[in-house]
Amino acid sequence: MRRLLCWLAFCLWPLAGLADDEVLLVGGEAQSGYRSFTEGLQARREHDRVQLRTVAQLPRPSRLDPRTRLVLLDSAALEWRLSETSGPAALALRVNRVQIQQRLGEQRPAYLSLLWSDPPLARQLALTHYLLPQARRVGVLYGEHSRFLLAELQQAARHLGLELVSKAWDDPRDSRPLQQLLSSSDVLLGLDDPELYNPKTVKTLLLSSYGRQMALIGPNAGFVRAGALASTYSDQTDWLEVLDHLLDQPTAHWPRSLYPTPFGVSGNQQVARALGLEPIDPTAAALAIGAGAPAP
Amino acid sequence: MAIGASPAPRLLLLTTALLGGPALGDDLFIDDQALPEVLTATRLKQSPAAVPGSMTVLDEALIHASGARDIPELLRLVPGMMIGYGAGNQPTVNYHGSNVSDARRMQVLIDGRSVYRAGLATVDWSDIPLAIEDIERIEVFRGPNTVSYGANALMAVVNILTRRPADSHGTRLKITRGENGIDDFYASQGLGWDGGDLRLSMSGMADDGFDHDQLGQPYRDSRRLTRFNLSASHTLTPEQSLDWQLAAKEGSNQRPYTYQPVFPYVTQRGPDADAVAKDYAASLRWNIDFNAGHSLYVQGSAQHFDRQQVWRACDASLAFSPELTRLWQLNPNYAEQVARRANDPPPSDDAEQRALVEAISQQWRSGASEVVCGDVDQSTRETRYDLEIQDTLSLSDSVRLLSGANLRYDRADSATYFNGSLDDQTWRLFGQLEWRADEHWIVQGGAMFENSRLTGSSLTPRVAVNYLITPRHGLRAVYSEAVRSPDMFENNVNWSYTVRNLSRNVYGLQNGEYFVKTRGPGNLDQERMRSRELGYNGYFSDLDLSLDLKLFVDEITGMISEPLRNNQFIASNANKARFSGSEAQVDWQLNARDRLRLTYAYVDAWASNPADRRLSARNSGSAGWLREWGRGWSSALFYYGDDALNQYRYERLDLRLAKQLRIHGTRLELAALWQQRLDNQPITLEQNRYDSRHRLLFSAELEF
Repeated sequence: MRRLLCWLAFCLWPLAGLADDEVLLVGGEAQSGYRSFTEGLQARREHDRVQLRTVAQLPRPSRLDPRTRLVLLDSAALEWRLSETSGPAALALRVNRVQIQQRLGEQRPAYLSLLWSDPPLARQLALTHYLLPQARRVGVLYGEHSRFLLAELQQAARHLGLELVSKAWDDPRDSRPLQQLLSSSDVLLGLDDPELYNPKTVKTLLLSSYGRQMALIGPNAGFVRAGALASTYSDQTDWLEVLDHLLDQPTAHWPRSLYPTPFGVSGNQQVARALGLEPIDPTAAALAIGAGAPAP
Repeated sequence: MAIGASPAPRLLLLTTALLGGPALGDDLFIDDQALPEVLTATRLKQSPAAVPGSMTVLDEALIHASGARDIPELLRLVPGMMIGYGAGNQPTVNYHGSNVSDARRMQVLIDGRSVYRAGLATVDWSDIPLAIEDIERIEVFRGPNTVSYGANALMAVVNILTRRPADSHGTRLKITRGENGIDDFYASQGLGWDGGDLRLSMSGMADDGFDHDQLGQPYRDSRRLTRFNLSASHTLTPEQSLDWQLAAKEGSNQRPYTYQPVFPYVTQRGPDADAVAKDYAASLRWNIDFNAGHSLYVQGSAQHFDRQQVWRACDASLAFSPELTRLWQLNPNYAEQVARRANDPPPSDDAEQRALVEAISQQWRSGASEVVCGDVDQSTRETRYDLEIQDTLSLSDSVRLLSGANLRYDRADSATYFNGSLDDQTWRLFGQLEWRADEHWIVQGGAMFENSRLTGSSLTPRVAVNYLITPRHGLRAVYSEAVRSPDMFENNVNWSYTVRNLSRNVYGLQNGEYFVKTRGPGNLDQERMRSRELGYNGYFSDLDLSLDLKLFVDEITGMISEPLRNNQFIASNANKARFSGSEAQVDWQLNARDRLRLTYAYVDAWASNPADRRLSARNSGSAGWLREWGRGWSSALFYYGDDALNQYRYERLDLRLAKQLRIHGTRLELAALWQQRLDNQPITLEQNRYDSRHRLLFSAELEF
């Protein structure tokens, strides 16, 4: 019992000194990636005290100093923060719109700023248009939880003069919707919906589309290595820049949700070659999209 | 939502991996879920401009719009492909030409399995156990390519790829009815589960063939068949998968009775020479991806071709005389003269022949002029087992090596053709290296070594250089050599007719041996092809137009071109042929609704044997216009033309109108196809005629 008390005291000791220069990064468990991210943020914000804690090391959110700024690194941290309304304001990183839609619906707690990790749809569409200017019909598969994105996508497509062809894919074991979509579109655009795009479905998606000499754009940079033609993405450096910018502002000014402004383009050169496309120049592509697109 | 005015692309150069993607794993924000690399360097194919030869791809949309019922009809859309008909149920397909009655210089593969018959070098298009509805696309490699496709890929390769089971979930039902007794059906069911997919399809086809011959007589060439296909794939591990297929076809092909008695006064004849044709195939393929740059597959297949053909023959009983048989073996021409004038045979200087003639005359006088009838069994059973291992290794981003080995066992059983059975074993090794010297130059070269027990060994090289002006526009120069091994029939035929169940015992026997016997030479060499090609392939993205042009000179030496007939057949390598000309192919998606497709071939054919020149149209081609009218209506207009195939002109216009209805998840398509001949000529042969110049078909297809 004594040892436990000592341990708790050790863990909670730094919190006693938390104040408005405190930035607390929270993760479900300690990971080396979190540590290096924390170090990266500390390097940018020398005047702040940046610390990394796991959920287990922290008391309930309401017990923290309200001036502390929280940065939530994963879903465990997000759940921890959502467990109470009162508590410090938080920036939630690595959250996906489809998953948040499932978890929160339209609800947007005032203490939470959601920083989307999935590539913005307008940007993905702009990339599609840039790489395949002759493609007019953009095929999109959606699931029960990603259906809400269609209206936004429709608007972005109209802006670029593209036609959106959408198809519900409720059971990824049944390939009929995919086949029907492929037969009526010129390019496939992936929505970052983990129920549709995951290690189990990736083979069917890529082999079927490539079988028809059709490219897949997105849903995220991870799929580019698997065989998607290209995707936009924001990496750690981009996010550090975004965080740096947000932490300079009073928490009351934090947006309820946000897509990162800095981004890059990742392209699969071998797929481009096999489809008879020019090699993808990521820098030029990112510049062209950035110049032509409105803010997401 | 945004914090900045506009997105700001990062200008620093990315740390890119080989694929041009960002470095993964150490970045919290790049999805590092364990995604397998699916489109690997070994799985991706060359872009059309980088293909080391001429390729025509018939995609699913085109296949569907054409309304074609069988593969030969579809191949009219390939420039330079000459489609002929021995009879309504005996289509022949030749690239550039050669013989009317035999098409034996083209490799035909279904998912990597050759359907070229094991014993008699031919493709029985009507008997292939595959429904057109199960085809995903057909890739036709126009030119020799034994390195990639094995011997027999002498003039072209038709590579038929069926729909992947994963791409054919759900139910499809289709019926087609039309004039000329057309009565087809297709039904398939596809399903998937975690780690696997399967498709089962049943189909059938029937038609009456041509209507009448040149004398106005009804023509016996209808076909009726049913087919069964099962295709499955299993994911064993992320790196390994297993695909297997089972296929079977049974049906009957009418054949007219063509037997001409040696003795002209014999008038009795059988009703027909119909054949029952059954094809069975099974294949298993194991795919292994060692890593993104190295993959391998092992494919084993077994096939059985069963042709049952028994017909009634009637002739004077002298036709089965052992003495006449002996005389035929000594001197066939003289034996024929003796047979025709048995009561007054011409004299001979040779003592042995004189003795035989004496015996024959004696037989004639003692009743051998009487007519007997019996059954001739012209059936064949052919079996092939094939095992292939192929390895694809991406040595670097710019070098890819494809290599492999193949072992094949062929066996043919036929009392008539082989007096029993005959078998052969073939093995081959092949390798091809693809080297992208820089972004413009691609050099691809390879060789195949083949050894067959019956015909010996051969080495064939191939080299192609592609110059990519841009990734979508390429020039190519190709030199290749190819061989075709004579088949068992050409080389080793032991052709004799045993007539069973004779209506009257002759020479004390229940069965008679017809006196005409033919033996293959047994020492034939392989036919050898040298091909040179210059080509251009380009895709104009702003127009959405692809174009392929080709100039070619193909020479075949050591050509075996004697017709396969049992009283004339003396096969040799004595003939030669030369084909030169040009081909063009345009595919233009004008807009979202219209697609235009044009093909044209100019072929200048020369052959030492005039028979090998006949199936080459100097000018041939096709034109197609596919249009979506909206509200589910679509149309396809196709023109097909050959200026002279075996001297007969062939021009046809097809119009297909279709209406698609969608009710929830169900798709129903109703279509009508009108085929109009624009000339009055028979098709390929004098006897191939229709009553009418037009034909109407209807089809209904339901998919859910």
